[in-house]
Amino acid sequence: MTRYCMVIDQRRCIGCHSCTVACRTWNELPLDIVYNPVLSEGCQGEWPNVHRNWTPTLCMHCEKPACVPCCPTGASQQDADGTVWIDYDKCMACLACVNACPYGMRDQSKLQPHLHRFVRKCTFCRDKRALDPDAEPYCVATCHQKARIWGDLDDPNSEVSKLIGSVETFRLLEDMGTGPQIYYIPDLGGTAR
Amino acid sequence: MRRHFWKWPIPTYLFLGGLGGGIFCLIAVLSLCVYPGAESVPMAMAWPGFLGICCLGFGCLMLVADLGQPMVFYRAFVKSTSVLAWGARLLTVCMIFGLLWFVSYIPWDWFLPVASFFVPFRVLNIAIAGIAGTCIMLYTGIFLSTLKSHAFWATPALPVLFTVSALSTACAAISLSAGWWPAPQGIMTEAAMLNMIAAEVVHEMVHVVDIILVICEIIVLLVMVLSFLGAGNKTANKVAHKWVHGSYALAFWGGMICMGLGIPLLLYLGLPHTVGSSVIAPILVLLGGLLLRFMVVNSDERAPLPGEDLYFKKLPPVDAEFIHKWTYGENLF
Repeated sequence: MTRYCMVIDQRRCIGCHSCTVACRTWNELPLDIVYNPVLSEGCQGEWPNVHRNWTPTLCMHCEKPACVPCCPTGASQQDADGTVWIDYDKCMACLACVNACPYGMRDQSKLQPHLHRFVRKCTFCRDKRALDPDAEPYCVATCHQKARIWGDLDDPNSEVSKLIGSVETFRLLEDMGTGPQIYYIPDLGGTAR
Repeated sequence: MRRHFWKWPIPTYLFLGGLGGGIFCLIAVLSLCVYPGAESVPMAMAWPGFLGICCLGFGCLMLVADLGQPMVFYRAFVKSTSVLAWGARLLTVCMIFGLLWFVSYIPWDWFLPVASFFVPFRVLNIAIAGIAGTCIMLYTGIFLSTLKSHAFWATPALPVLFTVSALSTACAAISLSAGWWPAPQGIMTEAAMLNMIAAEVVHEMVHVVDIILVICEIIVLLVMVLSFLGAGNKTANKVAHKWVHGSYALAFWGGMICMGLGIPLLLYLGLPHTVGSSVIAPILVLLGGLLLRFMVVNSDERAPLPGEDLYFKKLPPVDAEFIHKWTYGENLF
């Protein structure tokens, strides 16, 4: 059984926002929608002991997503491989899922009326994978630092399985109980927890 | 952080849904349990029932208006795991059976064949509408409390608060409108006299019930907000601070606690059988209930991700608007 997940190595991320740009370009996102913001709390500590962490984010494709059961139309769905996605033909933009997501990774464009009609989110480039099953999401393919690593968690030989089993990782807002499938390898400057 | 996804139609819908559901719950309880067999009592509450149908209908319109695609609202009935879908079904059931109950009281001559057809089903119709109405009252609070990403909503106290508030506002609405058309009017006929007595009995009953409910609401509200202030997690604590001594303090203490609950309680207790207790107090209770929904829905804060606030502050909304107009809405970036 395939279960997709992503490992984000904060030690490698330099905050170049290439993943954000690649995602926006591929998905033709309006200006007020960002699927994968690269967050930072700015410089921490006192000179000369300063550091800066980058926390690239995206939909966490949770094991038990809060956004799926609350959807009244069944538009918000989860594939067997763990990908959470929205069927635009069913969505009526009631925003129940937007309010249910603990990570704020779903949104509705206010700028373009034709995009106002449904909620949008990252789908691990589901449409790209439909054409080429071996393809990686664009944010992963474009990351020149290899900070984003994507793969099958159920495959013991995959890079993500090996990383999660061998180094310390954490997940964002784990106490929400949704089982996020994005794992972070903390930066040397400290974790973003 | 991006906030306030739900605009004013949603709190209005929650208020009207709770009010309409509460009205049918009270009508069912009063006519089936408290005064069974007294035909003039449900007749005196026919007009409040009609107001309940209007509230539910207008509430549904608010919900539909807030959708990104209002024309496909029927999709909301599809999924069984969604609280929102159950709410839509309950609203529909309550409105249909409430309307069937109400039409049996319409006294127009040309309408009598239809009205008399539904007379034998009055008890059944109001029982179903009452059960659905009770579920709607509970649902408005449960709907928000299941969204556990918002710490201020995800508490068992919220459904209790919304239910008590819905019943209290329903008492206020019934108090304001009991005894009106289609119940017989005037003082010359026996039916009109019976209606006056029934309306007075209903007024007395809902006043007493509303006093208890307002006291309960004050207690539940203060327990909920002050417990978040003392022991809530960081996000809920922040919202509680905003309510108690922040930007919402005036609305909370002055609007909700004082004008919406405290003064109506004093009017009910201190000035019985006056305009103060029969008109002003119920209106204040209704406004307080509406304010409560607005404040709760606008307190939709969730725990921010590290750096999220900074990131979204940096995004240029004005530039986005400019580029959107410059490109004539085409997605050319």
